Amino acid sequence: MSTSTLPGAAPTDSTVDLSGRPVVQPNGRVRPLSPHLQVWRWHVTMAASILNRLTGAALSVGAVLIFVWLMALAFGPDAYAIFTDWMGSPLGLLIWFGLTVALCLHFAGGVRHLIWDSARGLSIKVADALSWASIIGGVLIAVGFWVLLFASGRVAL
Amino acid sequence: MSRAAKTFIKGVKVSERHGAGEWTAERASSLILVPLTLWGLWSGFTLSGAGYDAVLDWFRSPVNAGLLAVTLLVSLWHMQMGLKVIVDDYIHKPGSRSAILGLIGLFCILLAAAGVFLIVRLALGSAPMPAGFGI
Repeated sequence: MSTSTLPGAAPTDSTVDLSGRPVVQPNGRVRPLSPHLQVWRWHVTMAASILNRLTGAALSVGAVLIFVWLMALAFGPDAYAIFTDWMGSPLGLLIWFGLTVALCLHFAGGVRHLIWDSARGLSIKVADALSWASIIGGVLIAVGFWVLLFASGRVAL
Repeated sequence: MSRAAKTFIKGVKVSERHGAGEWTAERASSLILVPLTLWGLWSGFTLSGAGYDAVLDWFRSPVNAGLLAVTLLVSLWHMQMGLKVIVDDYIHKPGSRSAILGLIGLFCILLAAAGVFLIVRLALGSAPMPAGFGI
């Protein structure tokens, strides 16, 4: 695409970089912006990337809670009843709902990254569409999961 | 070592340290976790609101216990790598970074070992562990 010969040399069209975005620096050269949140123009691919990292970190809490679940089971029926009482409370359900949303977003985001890592879907249009699809799809799966949980009577407030 | 000979493969520079290995491991764990996550969602759905006995019955199936153990191990592996990337990005002092990464690694190993121990116990139908839990 670019006909530049030296690494770092400005593309011949000095108003856009390889991503097609205008990033003329104060010194007149075209450079990609470093990802400081204060100066980075909001974009859905950026939001999806941040969301993937945030949800991944949040799921560490989920791993600990799964471990607590195993502990409660191993300690017998009384301990398990205490665990289910806590987790079945409104706050407990809210935490698990949040973790479900995080899991589904991270899952959809992970699939999106696997698609990108196979060098597909990297044009701006497709990358944007994939980002939106992973965000909307992730939330829809999580909400659908909980609608089914309540509808089937497995969980009740 | 024959590092000099391996610096370039087909004209492409090879990672000098362990970047390529980490990249591959992250993708490998992601790929493994795709089906396991779907199975985990399904299992979470069936086990939600189920009583103690029903959950123990679920654990008696070697397929369930085995898949849960694999899911736990791969998830913790994936989690350790993901947290490492975050720490690498934001913690700049080498001493603090090494300390935090060490703690994360230790935490994941402990969680993995104890988790598999508990899953095996539950799969074998062992008697409840002694001492109350929160009582």
